[in-house]
Amino acid sequence: MVLNFERIGPSIPYILEGIQVTLSYTAVSLCLGFFLGSLLALCKISHIAPLRWFARFYTSLFRGTPLLVQLTLIYYATPQLIGYNISVWEAGILSFTLNSTAYLSEHFRSGIESIDKGQIEAALALGIPYSLMMRDIILPQAIRVCLPSLVNESIDLLKESALISIIGGADIMRRASIVANEKYLFFEPFLVAAVLYYVLVLMLTFISARVEKRMKQS
Amino acid sequence: MIQLEHIHKSYGTNEVLKGISGRIAPGDVVAIIGPSGSGKSTLLRTINLLDPPTSGKVYINDTCITEKGINIEEIRTKIGMVFQQFNLFPHMTILENITYAPRKVKKMPPQKAEKLAKKLLKQVGLSNKEQAYPASLSGGQKQRAAIARALAMNPEIILFDEPTSALDPEMVKEVLNVIKELVNTGITIVIVTHEMGFAREVADYIWFIDEGHLVENTLASSFFKKTKTKRAAEFLEQIL
Repeated sequence: MVLNFERIGPSIPYILEGIQVTLSYTAVSLCLGFFLGSLLALCKISHIAPLRWFARFYTSLFRGTPLLVQLTLIYYATPQLIGYNISVWEAGILSFTLNSTAYLSEHFRSGIESIDKGQIEAALALGIPYSLMMRDIILPQAIRVCLPSLVNESIDLLKESALISIIGGADIMRRASIVANEKYLFFEPFLVAAVLYYVLVLMLTFISARVEKRMKQS
Repeated sequence: MIQLEHIHKSYGTNEVLKGISGRIAPGDVVAIIGPSGSGKSTLLRTINLLDPPTSGKVYINDTCITEKGINIEEIRTKIGMVFQQFNLFPHMTILENITYAPRKVKKMPPQKAEKLAKKLLKQVGLSNKEQAYPASLSGGQKQRAAIARALAMNPEIILFDEPTSALDPEMVKEVLNVIKELVNTGITIVIVTHEMGFAREVADYIWFIDEGHLVENTLASSFFKKTKTKRAAEFLEQIL
């Protein structure tokens, strides 16, 4: 077996530029997913039945179909359906966000339900309105509880963002395959891609371990 | 003023409160006592509707709070509550625990809320714990902080739900002493307790509850001399 890293050497900066693309898909979708996921979690524990039904249906739909199918549907079907020419970036962010919203809402829900009922009672007894109680008292505690599963979710999304390469997003994976096709070398560029993903995940794990430690201290 | 009229409370088919009526005048101290499972805590929790009664009416200062369309949040700001399990907010410092509701619910300016909190912490003997998190406090300290948190809303009424039952014995006294200092400050106190000595010392009235009925509602002084009912006498005999 002969490895020709020197032949892809000049292309490595090109692949490295994909890091920024991969990270921006991940970060933007995670932020939106966090926000929408917590709202959806509130729907799941709501007293209003239609909200609960909607939230349950939403989760089962987005957990029950492959992300790749969701992504291609959104990218290719949107123009046909509403005549809007959706960009790769929009389709990626939309499908990653909608998908992670479903998963994150489940983590948030179980986090919220694990909080002692006494916390809610104490807030009610002080006359704190529901929205403030959720925002300042229940959710901050719930996020601490489910932090490890949130980290898992983030890692999953970081890796699954490689799917964007299928519809032409210039992320790490896409750039690696462009280099592979150009040079007719496969092992080397994809190995570079694999290492990059691994390093990114390690960094994410490291950061979250620090955050978790800090949260435990308080 | 608190007035209860024919309070019933059921959980499914289990009727916990079976028609309780009574009146508590402003500034009174009432101790609710009785065997476990008699409905004491449930009765206390109907006063601020943490457990809304299945039927019957609750009046706070002539306002019927069991009526529909009542702004219960506003009523609750006038009724402090202290729980058996303290229920401090674990992700906030003691100071934040106390200032949160005055700031967010009463819209008090932060400096003013902080000043108030410091004054209350001094009152309950926790001046050095401002920046501590609840987890680093002992049970007695937590409960004193929880009392300060309830007092920060300047309530007319304060409800104590077995405030010393979760404490190690050596910490009971420090908490009772803090509660004792609230007596005769004009605040109405309703306390569910197993501390008979304490009830005898501070309460104006004793409500003896058994099997969901208010069996006795008597002046504390006469209750401990001679109960009106045999059931109460038996209860006292068992625990004294």
